[in-house]
Amino acid sequence: MDIQNVFAGYGARDVLRGVSFSLQAGENLAILGPNGCGKTTLLRVLAGLLPFRGEVRIGGRNLASLSPLALASQVGMMSQSTQAAFDYTVREVVRMGRYRLRRGGLFGGGDPQGEAAVERAMEAVALAELADRPVSALSGGQQQRVFLARVLAQEPAVILLDEPTNHLDLKNQIELMEYLRAYTASGEHRVIGVFHDLTLAPMLCRQALFMKDGVALAKGPFGEIATPAFLREIYGVDVRAHLSRALEALPGEEIE
Amino acid sequence: MSSISKGRKGGRAVALLLLFAACAGLMVLAVGVGSVAIPARDVADILRCRLTGEPLPAHIAELTASILMKIRLPRVLLAFLCGASLSAAGAVMQSVLRNPLASGYTLGVSSGASLGAACVLLLGMRLPVFPGATLPAAGFGFGLLTVLLAMALSARFDPSLRSDTIVLTGMVISLLASAALSMVSALHKESLEALYFWQMGSFGGATMEENAILAAVLALALPCVLRFHREMDILTFGDELAGTSGFSPKRVRRALILLATLMTGTAVSFCGTIGFVDLIMPHLARKLFGARHSALLLASAMLGGAFMVLADLLARTALSPRELPVGAVTALVGAPFFLIVYFGRRRGEARR
Repeated sequence: MDIQNVFAGYGARDVLRGVSFSLQAGENLAILGPNGCGKTTLLRVLAGLLPFRGEVRIGGRNLASLSPLALASQVGMMSQSTQAAFDYTVREVVRMGRYRLRRGGLFGGGDPQGEAAVERAMEAVALAELADRPVSALSGGQQQRVFLARVLAQEPAVILLDEPTNHLDLKNQIELMEYLRAYTASGEHRVIGVFHDLTLAPMLCRQALFMKDGVALAKGPFGEIATPAFLREIYGVDVRAHLSRALEALPGEEIE
Repeated sequence: MSSISKGRKGGRAVALLLLFAACAGLMVLAVGVGSVAIPARDVADILRCRLTGEPLPAHIAELTASILMKIRLPRVLLAFLCGASLSAAGAVMQSVLRNPLASGYTLGVSSGASLGAACVLLLGMRLPVFPGATLPAAGFGFGLLTVLLAMALSARFDPSLRSDTIVLTGMVISLLASAALSMVSALHKESLEALYFWQMGSFGGATMEENAILAAVLALALPCVLRFHREMDILTFGDELAGTSGFSPKRVRRALILLATLMTGTAVSFCGTIGFVDLIMPHLARKLFGARHSALLLASAMLGGAFMVLADLLARTALSPRELPVGAVTALVGAPFFLIVYFGRRRGEARR
C-alpha cells in the first residue's frame, strides 16, 4: 500500500494536507493522533468513501480507478458504531458481507461456500449461538462483533477499523483485539485502524502512524517512535506519566 | 418477534404463495359484495364464461355479469394494484431513507402526484400519442418533482442528510402540495367533486384501461426493484457500510427513488391521495416475513393490495348507498394500527 501526497476534506476545507506513507504487505497499522487531526478522514479516503487529490495505491492498483466491487475485495470497513434501522438477524447482517461475490438466490440457498464463510465468521467472534437473534436485541459489544463478523465474511485484503473499541467495556475491547490479531496472524489479511487508546493499539499493530493537523508526522514501529518526548509533542501531555499515575490509582500487585 | 418459517429454506417462498392465493380469494369475495350480491361460485362462473366466450349459466342475469365485469372487477383490481404499488414503493422508501416513518405519502410524492394529475385534468391537457397515459405521466412527473424538491431542501438545511430531516421536509412539502390542491379546488368550483376525489382518494369509476397501465408499470418496476434486494438490505445500515460493500449507494438510491416514485405516482394518478397503506403495510410485512427485502417487497405489495381491497370494500358498503373516501378509511384504520405497530415495537426494544 502506497499513499502519496493525499489531500482531502469536506466542502472547501482540506482536513488532510499532503499525507504520504507506505506500508509493507502483511503489516497492521494503527493511526493515532489528537482529535481533529484527520485520522478518520484518512480512513475514509482509504475506504473509497471520500474523494481525494493525490495518489493511493492498494495491491499495486490505483484506488481511484477501482470499481465498487473491486474496491470491496481490497478494503472492508467497520465503523465506530452502525445503527440498524430494522430488525435483521445476526446471520442476515453477516451474510451482507458476501455482497461483493453476488451469489445465492432470492430466498437464500444456492451459495454453500458463502454460507460456510458466514458460519466461520460468526464462530470467529463467538456469535454462532446468537445467529438467529435480531441484532437490536444484542448488547453493544455483541453488536460490534456482528459488524466485525460482517467484514470478516467480506474477506477483504485490508480491514479498516474506525475506533472499533468505542462504546465497549474493557473485556470486550481486549477480546475484539484478540479476534483481530488471530485473523491477521497468517499475514494474508491486515488491519488498518484508527485508535484513541494508546494502550490498545500496540496489541494489534506493530506499526504506528502519528498524525497532527492533517499531516503524517511519523510512521514506524511503536517501540521506536512513541518516545515520551514525541508523544508530548503530539498530544500536548505527558502520556507515560499519566498512564503510570492511572496505574498507581488502582490497588494491586506491583508489576515488574 | 416471530417471523414465518425463518429457518426453513424456501419457507418464505411457500408463505408468499399462500399469501398470493389468499389475496386472489379475497378479491373474488370482494367483487361479490355490493348492492347486488354475487356469490363466489357465480363470480367464478362469470369470469370463466367471459374468458372462454361460453354463454352464461341460466341462473345468472346478464346485468349481474355486466356489473361484475364493468364495475366491480375494475374497481377491486385497481384497489389491489394501487395498494400493491403504494406499499411496495413504501418499503423501498423506508429502506433508502433508513426510516420506518418514510413513505410516498410522508415524502410528498402522493400529494405532489395528486396535484399534478388534478391540474392536468383541469387544464384538459392530453398526451398526443397515448392519451390514456396523460394522468399517470403527470402523477409521476409531479411526484418526482416533489421528492426531488424535498431532498434538495433537506440537503440545504442539513448537509449530512439525516433521514429525519428528509421526512420532516417531505411532510412540509406534502402539506404545501395539499394546500395548493385545495386552492385549485376553490378556484374551480365546477370541478369540485372531481378534485375532492384527488384529495381523499377513491376507486369509483375505475376502468380496465387504468388497470392495464398500472399493471404494466408494476410489472416493469417491481422486478427492477427486486433486483436491488441485497442493496436495499445493506442501505438500511447507512452509506458508510454500503459504500464499502461493493456498490455505489448514491447511484442505487437514485435508481430506487425513481422506481418507487414511478409506482407511487402512477397509482396516485388513478386513485388520488391515499395515506397510511405505504407506511404500515411494510411494517406488517416485516413482522411476518422478516426484514430482508427479497421477501419483504413482495409481501408488502400483496398485503398492501389486500388492505386496500378491504378498505375500499368498507368505503363502499359501510354507509351504502353513500360512499366514504378510501383515504379516510385507510387513515381511520391505519392511524391506530400504526401507533400499535410503531410503539409496540419500541416498547419491545426497551424491555430487552
